[in-house]
Parts: sequence; structure tokens; C-alpha cells
Amino acid sequence: MKMVSAALALMLAGTWPTLAQEVAKAPPPGAFKAVSSLVKLPDFLPGMGQLFVDPATLPAGPFLAYDHDGKLVSTIYMLPIKDLNPNKRFDDLASPGGNVDHVSVYYNAGHPGVEEPHVHVVLWHVAKADEARVAK
Amino acid sequence: MLFFPQARATGNDIIDVEMHGKDDGAHVWFDPAGIHVEPGQTVRWTNRDPGNSHTVTSYHPDVFDRPLRIPANAKPWNSDYLLPGQSFSVTLTVPGVYDYYCVPHEHAGMVGRIVVGTPQPVAPSAVDPSLTPLPDVALNGFPPVDEIIAKGIVRRV
Repeated sequence: MKMVSAALALMLAGTWPTLAQEVAKAPPPGAFKAVSSLVKLPDFLPGMGQLFVDPATLPAGPFLAYDHDGKLVSTIYMLPIKDLNPNKRFDDLASPGGNVDHVSVYYNAGHPGVEEPHVHVVLWHVAKADEARVAK
Repeated sequence: MLFFPQARATGNDIIDVEMHGKDDGAHVWFDPAGIHVEPGQTVRWTNRDPGNSHTVTSYHPDVFDRPLRIPANAKPWNSDYLLPGQSFSVTLTVPGVYDYYCVPHEHAGMVGRIVVGTPQPVAPSAVDPSLTPLPDVALNGFPPVDEIIAKGIVRRV
């Protein structure tokens, strides 16, 4: 009862961290792992940033992408082209990153971890101009 | 695919092949895609793609159960993943045609071909159903042997 009361007090006080607040800074909590620790890829990928993913969610993700200062910039889903067919659906993909400013969708030829042509669906949590934070 | 005339390298030259990719990873390739070398020369692959890892892997039953597409008595190779800036080299002594691919990008058509010396035509062998066949996009990505011999190198731009 005391724990419930404490939790309620925290929520009422506005100090209970939201999911978006929990993943706002790298590294994200829970089962998320740096992609570079799971497969042989550079730690920082130009155009995307430093990626984290829960391995249980591969290949779709979400992948959480951070800039050089460890701030979340985007949530990325990687959807294999062969799975975009009448018999396959991607439902209920987690979206822990909070507000979305805009979305990018583009083809990727593949990379370790998702070793087949796929689509990147990028939910940008920053303005278009701030994509430059992960450009290089 | 473009062809740039260039005499094939001789002696102990190291022949460089680079791995490249567009910034968004939408397109990846070996450059040059086709080269003609002398027996005993060394080919060195270097990953020049800052945003991706690549392999250079020969088609051979001993490497991931793939069809034989190098001379029967040549030694197969697999570089494993090369991070940006890393290199891998192979010295080719047996004349013939060597086809290779990048493991994560074979289905994106990232393949290459080396012609060593002046190979004799080889009769196609029976298809072994236990081996994983090449996707069409890879089969269509090899520069023709005659063009490689005539031009020295074949490059995609």
C-alpha cells in the first residue's frame, strides 16, 4: 500500500518519467542494446546516428537513433521488402520516442543485422534542419 | 555499367577494389566490378563506405554452401565483415574466373568478378540442389568475361 501511495505521489507530482523521457538520452533502458555491440557495424552511422535495438524485435525494430550528444533524434523501423506482401503485417510496433516532427521512408540495400533489401521508416523527433546532427 | 580501357596490371602489383555505398545505403557496389589480372597477383579490397560493413566472399560450396564459381582447384575465401577503412587481400594463382559477393548485399546485387590469366572455357556443371543458388540480381551483376579481358577493368558509376 505504501508503494502504491508513493507511486501515486510521484505521478501527481509530475516526476514519474514517461516512456519518451526514459529513451530521450542514450543509452535507452531495458532490453535495448547498441547495434554495434550486436553486429559488426560502425558505432555511429552517418545519416542515422548511434543505433540501439531490442534484439527480440529484429528485424523491424524499433531502432532508436541518437546524435553525437546522446540525444534521441529518430525512431527507425526496418521492414524487409520480401515481407511487404499480402500475407504479412507489421502491427503494434512500439514507438517509445514521443512526438514525431516528420517521417522519412527510403530503400536500404541491407547491412549486418538486416541482411536483405529493406525499407527504413524513420520517425524524426527533431525538426528537418536538425537531421544534420546525425549527418556525419 | 561503364567500361574504362586499362591495360591489366602486371608483375607483383596489388590490384585495389573498393567497397562503396550511397549515404542512405540505397545502393552498394564493388569498384571496379570486374578486373583482369595475371596469375600470382594480389587483389586487395577496402571498405570505403563510411556507413556500412561489407564482406568479400567467394562462391564456393565450402563457404555458406554456395555454388562453385571459382576454379575447382583454387582456395575459397571469406573476409568476414570489414568495417570502414579495413582491407582484405587474396593472391590468385590459379587461372580462371572468380565470382564473389558481399554477404549482406548479395540480394542488392553487390557482386564482382576477377578473371585470372586467359581461362579456358569451362562446361557448366550439374546444379547441386543442396547448395543455395544465386538470386537473379546477383547473376545479372557479373560483368561478362570477354568484356573484362578486352577492357582490363569494368566499372560501375
